[in-house]
Amino acid sequence: MSNSENKYWRGIEELEANPAVMEQRSNEFSDKLPMEEILGDSEELSANRRDFLKFFGFSVSAVALAACNKAPVKYAMPYIDKPENVTPGQPLFYATNCAVYNEGFPIVAKVREGRPIKLDGNAESPLSQGGLDAIGQASILSLYDVNRLANPRIDGEETEDWGEVDKKVVDTLKGAKGKVHVVSRTVTSPILQASIDKFVAAHGANHVVYDPISYQGIRDANKADFGAAVVPSYKFDEAEVIVSFGADFLGTWISPVRFSADYTKNRVPTPENPNMSKHYQIETLMSLTGTNADQRYTIPASKQGKYLVSLYNMLSGSSSDIQELPGNALRQIADELKAAQGKALVVCDSNNKNHQMMVNAINNLLGSYGSTIDMNSHMNVSDYDEAAFGTFVKQVKGAGAVVFVNANPVYSYTKGAVLAEALKNTKVISTSMVIDETSMETVVHAPDNHSLESWDVLQPMNGHYLISQPVISKVFNTRSAAESLTAWSGEKVEMGEDQASHKWVTDYISSNLGVNANKALHDGFVTKSASSNASAYAGNAGSAASSIASAYKAGNGFELSLYQKVGIRDGSWALNPWCHELPDPVTKVTYDNYVSISRNDAEANDLEQGDFVKVTTKSGSIDQLPVLIQPGQGRGSIGIAIGYGRNVKTTLDNDLVDLGKNAYPLMSGDNDFFVGDVTIEKVGSGYEFAQTQTHHMVEGRNYMREATLDEYKENHGVRNDVHIPVANLWEEYDYSKGHHWAMAIDMNACTGCGSCVVSCSIENNVPVVGRKEVRRRREMHWIRIDRYYAFEADSDETASVRVGPSHVQQDFKKGQRITKENEMFGLDANSAEGDNDYGHYDNVQVVHQPVMCQHCDHAPCETVCPVLATTHSSEGLNQMTYNRCIGTKYCGNNCPYKVRRFNWFRYNLNDKFDYHFNNELGRMVLNPDVTVRSRGVMEKCSFCVQNIQMAKLNAKIDGRKLKDGDVNTACAKACPSGAIVFGDRNDPNSRIAKLFKNERSYKMLEEVGTDPSVQYLTKIRNRKEEVQHS
Amino acid sequence: MSGSFYSNSTFVAIVILALVLLFIAALMIWVLRHISLLVKERAGVEVEPSFYERNIKPKVEKWNPTIVTLIVIGALVLVLGGYGFKYGIEEVGVQQGYAPDQPINFPHTKHAGTMGIDCQYCHTTAGKSKHASIPSANTCMNCHKGAQLREDYGGNVSPELAKLYDAVGFDPETSTYDPDAETHPIKWVRIHNLPDLAYFNHSQHVTVGNVECQTCHGPIEEMEKVEQFSTLQMGWCVNCHRQRGIDVKNNQYYEDVHKEMKSKGEHYVTVAQNGGLECSKCHY
Repeated sequence: MSNSENKYWRGIEELEANPAVMEQRSNEFSDKLPMEEILGDSEELSANRRDFLKFFGFSVSAVALAACNKAPVKYAMPYIDKPENVTPGQPLFYATNCAVYNEGFPIVAKVREGRPIKLDGNAESPLSQGGLDAIGQASILSLYDVNRLANPRIDGEETEDWGEVDKKVVDTLKGAKGKVHVVSRTVTSPILQASIDKFVAAHGANHVVYDPISYQGIRDANKADFGAAVVPSYKFDEAEVIVSFGADFLGTWISPVRFSADYTKNRVPTPENPNMSKHYQIETLMSLTGTNADQRYTIPASKQGKYLVSLYNMLSGSSSDIQELPGNALRQIADELKAAQGKALVVCDSNNKNHQMMVNAINNLLGSYGSTIDMNSHMNVSDYDEAAFGTFVKQVKGAGAVVFVNANPVYSYTKGAVLAEALKNTKVISTSMVIDETSMETVVHAPDNHSLESWDVLQPMNGHYLISQPVISKVFNTRSAAESLTAWSGEKVEMGEDQASHKWVTDYISSNLGVNANKALHDGFVTKSASSNASAYAGNAGSAASSIASAYKAGNGFELSLYQKVGIRDGSWALNPWCHELPDPVTKVTYDNYVSISRNDAEANDLEQGDFVKVTTKSGSIDQLPVLIQPGQGRGSIGIAIGYGRNVKTTLDNDLVDLGKNAYPLMSGDNDFFVGDVTIEKVGSGYEFAQTQTHHMVEGRNYMREATLDEYKENHGVRNDVHIPVANLWEEYDYSKGHHWAMAIDMNACTGCGSCVVSCSIENNVPVVGRKEVRRRREMHWIRIDRYYAFEADSDETASVRVGPSHVQQDFKKGQRITKENEMFGLDANSAEGDNDYGHYDNVQVVHQPVMCQHCDHAPCETVCPVLATTHSSEGLNQMTYNRCIGTKYCGNNCPYKVRRFNWFRYNLNDKFDYHFNNELGRMVLNPDVTVRSRGVMEKCSFCVQNIQMAKLNAKIDGRKLKDGDVNTACAKACPSGAIVFGDRNDPNSRIAKLFKNERSYKMLEEVGTDPSVQYLTKIRNRKEEVQHS
Repeated sequence: MSGSFYSNSTFVAIVILALVLLFIAALMIWVLRHISLLVKERAGVEVEPSFYERNIKPKVEKWNPTIVTLIVIGALVLVLGGYGFKYGIEEVGVQQGYAPDQPINFPHTKHAGTMGIDCQYCHTTAGKSKHASIPSANTCMNCHKGAQLREDYGGNVSPELAKLYDAVGFDPETSTYDPDAETHPIKWVRIHNLPDLAYFNHSQHVTVGNVECQTCHGPIEEMEKVEQFSTLQMGWCVNCHRQRGIDVKNNQYYEDVHKEMKSKGEHYVTVAQNGGLECSKCHY
């Protein structure tokens, strides 16, 4: 069956024609005015004539009174002594380090008038290559977090005097009756390491490392096979065949930004080089990486080891002990891997040493070491030692004191509760920025600086040294953890202007890195030649295989796979509203964690979406977790995201407080994210997810174009051959003069990670609206990523399933793809009589499509605005003028792409939306060049017109022509895989002009005749026309 | 700050409410009196004609009701309309002529006028940034470290300059900075305020457009106390954009515009012709 008939659907609601969703689809802004909320908590509001008059009278008088305000007096306060390089109104850019990656991540911070307002990846560094993921983008807000401690605390009392703090700590440690322990995250900073060493020496302390995500399986396997316990660098750009066993390397695994950039280099076929890598994903849950795979298979996580052994056996020519995938696919994978000898890569997410040893053996057979795997530039992601930490936990009871250096094991350690109990018997000293689970009861709380306020050197990758420099003066009275530890070792530590860590960093750069300190600060990183103590491969695949075979036992009940969400990760930075408002790339759920389950399992266990269940494992249980039905999820497995259920002291009253449930205690205790023998039990129902997948639906129209690589090789313009002539009622405007701004989005490069969404929100002051408003389809994001499912093609075309509600029963061929509203209606597989086969729900393809304002040259929104609030510019921009808008919402109704967002409320300085827009500190992150919109106006993507205007102005001041690359949008800048390209299509040498001529390039909904300025490049999947399924 | 103007509006509201209540009270008294008169009349008691009946009624009865009504309505429209117009202008934030007191009585007449110091000597960023920016105190100190104007104040430091010295922690007696002094920025009152919805960039106008400062700010060099010279209304912006030409000859950026202009045999391209009236040039 040909891909040309791909039928896409947004979610099960759409597929099964859920009446509520269908209703929503035709009424974009159907919600009534929220009178009840505005006018008090009256249970039922039966607005009659009298009420109307009351409201009317109230409004009139309110308006009259409000109008009495004269313009307030404003002040302008210049510097006393202006720093030489600061020009008020002009941004400065500094290379520094991003907070969310404990090991360090290179970024460039945009600073306006002394406050950082935007972070982007450092394009020079191989770790970023210009991209930055969603959580990294959002991390800027952790600097302006009102939950941060403003001062150090002694016995819970705030003090401003660090001398007092140091005295108290030294007294406490001197008087300690037992051993002193220091618990830190993995230390990649030589500065922090030196201060820990000093502290350990001064107090005879014991240093243990704690990380929630440890990659211990990989390190242990490499220790056994290569004699070096390291996490190697994987080079996805070198690989022609990639097989990932559950590793979500585009979303959360090790270094997703770098992997996305590298992976994409081999994923975009061009007429000159019409090839792309082949990516197989063999996994349990539907991960972001799985959605991007050419071919995806679901397996139970418990059998992962068996498949690895089978793959190894196939590659090594043995035929024993083979566990096959449907359609003998594993054999095919093995053959392809073998053919790509030296250009193949197999990765695996397991924390099981034996699994990783099998992966090592496979990669060794394939000759991957030295080509696609680099042991020298290994990644310093974690040094966590499960056993050492276990010993520490046992010793806590008798400990004299425990110093937590930004580690938070009470939250994320499997037996966190045990640790918390034990800590009550000792003295806790903490350096965390907020009062987290571990630092609830402290003797001394000495808050650390934010990484944007700190001097530091970090080594995220062997030989790759990041220099962190402060880009803002300290927001609060804090001190870097390294300085605190040094002070507590009895050394005098300078604070203020010549702070000690500044000197340490410059000394380290000149003495250890041997480069000019100014250059190092300018570049943000220093690269030295890297070597490791890894020897040649000396693994024993046979013993690992037999260990796997003996360890396997068929379990009872469900299998649980714990996973990280792209925006939340391990939960360390989970109090960030942007991370939660970002829809999960796969499920499109905001604000919640949940139990994801396959359609079949849900049916078999009588569960529906939104039912509450109790999940019990051997080590713990979670009550009241909602159920989400996930197409493409393996049967017999459930998934729960970690990183939720945080308990941080906060004064805010919003959806981030008490959000989701903590899944860490469900872990089996051996730091393994796979848990067997799980029971689930229905305890309630009726939960409504704030899920955006059915919002802003484009009604059954053909928005996606997809083809196979073979089709592309035959015809570069596959799927784009047919053009529908469109008549134009208006006089055509000549855009050939001046600039004509345009954007191209390569669907082969887009992974759907959501980085652009957060980047756009930060750049354009897009408000956070909260869970309740998202449920009402009122999220304000200017760019959304549509995620579509399509049923996998199936060779078995003769077998048909009877689908649809009984009154519209139709025979559909198994695996047939479905589209168009009327067809969709008949596609509910839940037939009335019997045939409850949901097999096709397990096997779905996924595509991601970012959609923002298409800046149509024949824009339907412009012609319907009664007040000309939205107009077209001579440069092809669809302009939105907020101060003219009266909020009729006609434009939104008439937009075929559903990209216009209405401000239902004033989101800034409004207690009902208690996010960063509602406090002085949080609003420091606002972009001063972009208006903060008020209630009652429409808004939408502006193509970052502020950047366009700024770049044009800079060119005019310099007296030169605008160059390609001078102008960029926030989304394009953020994209780790370079999927979005922006530029002037009238410049014949620009990248955008070339992409617009690319044969893959098409206009979304071309037949509507809107002539958009955004073009998409047809998605090409490297797969055969048909795949054999058993 | 915001507190005081909110309380102003509250005060206005209270006055209006008080007036309305007084009016109702007067009406009530009048009704009461009338009723009591009626009661007395019915009881047959002789009632003395009131002041109104004696003195006013006979005169008013002679007036033409139409003309009187028209006059009254006309007067009301004039008064209320005039008030409304003034109010409306203030409401949209037109502050033409706004000349607030400044913390330091800085004489532009002396600096820009008598001494002819270039505007951008102090407002350094006008040519390169969005903000013209009020000079930082160290700019003032470039001259006033030496120029203490003692000759004008009988050997003492000028009282206005003393405020500057206090702000930067400078001791004029010894002409040294006191390293321990508490410094504080000077809180100037902003005169030119644009609403958040309008983006204005000084460098675009000063450097690219070669607009004289005085074109918008008026004869600053003659202003003892600076006031807002222009309305800063959109119509005022648009007018200028319609009239002013772009210097296309001397800027590579406008090369294509220049070529087209020459090919059409024109000598002049206005800002408006180059898209300078489009919404998103200023509103985003």
